[in-house]
Amino acid sequence: MKITDAAVYPYPNGDSSVRRMALEAKALGFDSIVAVDTPPQTYEGIEIVRGVLIQDVPMRDVIGKVKQARESHAIVSVHAKDNGFNRAVIGLKGVQILRGIQHADKLAFDHVTAKMAADNCVAIDIDLSALLAARGVARQRAIYRYRDVLIFERRFEFPLTLSSSARSVLDMRAVREISGLCSLIGMDMPDVEKALAGVGTVSTPPVPAVRVIP
Amino acid sequence: MTVRPPTLREKRRYLLVRVEPAGTAIDQKELYYAIADAVTSLWGDAIAAVISQAVVAAEEGHVVIRCRRGSEKELVIALSTMTACRDTRIALRIIAASGTIESLRERIRDAQPEDPVGPGEPAEQEYCFGKNVYAIGNCNGQKVDVIEKGFKNAHRLFLTREDLEKP
Repeated sequence: MKITDAAVYPYPNGDSSVRRMALEAKALGFDSIVAVDTPPQTYEGIEIVRGVLIQDVPMRDVIGKVKQARESHAIVSVHAKDNGFNRAVIGLKGVQILRGIQHADKLAFDHVTAKMAADNCVAIDIDLSALLAARGVARQRAIYRYRDVLIFERRFEFPLTLSSSARSVLDMRAVREISGLCSLIGMDMPDVEKALAGVGTVSTPPVPAVRVIP
Repeated sequence: MTVRPPTLREKRRYLLVRVEPAGTAIDQKELYYAIADAVTSLWGDAIAAVISQAVVAAEEGHVVIRCRRGSEKELVIALSTMTACRDTRIALRIIAASGTIESLRERIRDAQPEDPVGPGEPAEQEYCFGKNVYAIGNCNGQKVDVIEKGFKNAHRLFLTREDLEKP
């Protein structure tokens, strides 16, 4: 089980190089990071996985971008929008993470979308920057939305991922701090461990329930 | 006011916290207000009163924060939501918790930087990263913090030694 931060944004999207982020991740207790728009590599024992984030594009462009990304073996994340868009994205082969659910409208993620996510092994991302950087109503709304997602997760058992969305090493948090933050949304330690291993769950091909032995 | 006997005093715990980026000037009072803001914003006034946090020491890039015993977890969660002190971006890394300040001071003495930049060392030199020229602001082992050369937009970048090139 690899403990992974599901999204960091190294230079030029942020102010830290991907190597520095890898060093920091190692010190904070991670085994791997998903770095957006960065080639895959290993540095100081930390696996850096390439991430592709698709946002602010219509559905037909999403299909094209997912096809391109699938060839490069990247972790493909799509930013959530309305309910119809989310259902279409979850049904798309090659999409691994649906993120930004806290910014989408209230009905964007319902029980049907949750069931589809479980069936297609698409993870829902818990973005901790919403708990770290936001204050007041924005943070309350994020906590409310994440608690709602967790209710569906307990019922349908779709994968979850945890991301810091760090654009700087200063935004990264230790695994111990992340488990503390996740307690705010009702996640206990086994839930956090499972979510930190969520990237591994969605990136490995599912084992078929029935195996044909010649 | 007479001093309370030890059995009637409230029990306290002390957290040792490292302030990042290294070399940031820490004003104890400013940091106290930033922590109080973070605690109140997350937990509200009632729990903030129970935690009763205070910054009791700030030395060598480390800070000792006091809280009531049993409320360490709440304080740690609140500290992890801190992103800035005044207008300076910072991150607080929890190192240890203890019942005495003295044991934390020993930890500070043990945690010296691996390879600090001394006077006349490479800090004076210029390095390239991308298309820009940078000067080293702080250096600890592989980790190098650089500051862009120039009068305007002197951004700080967080890099490693391998990222830097000679101009």
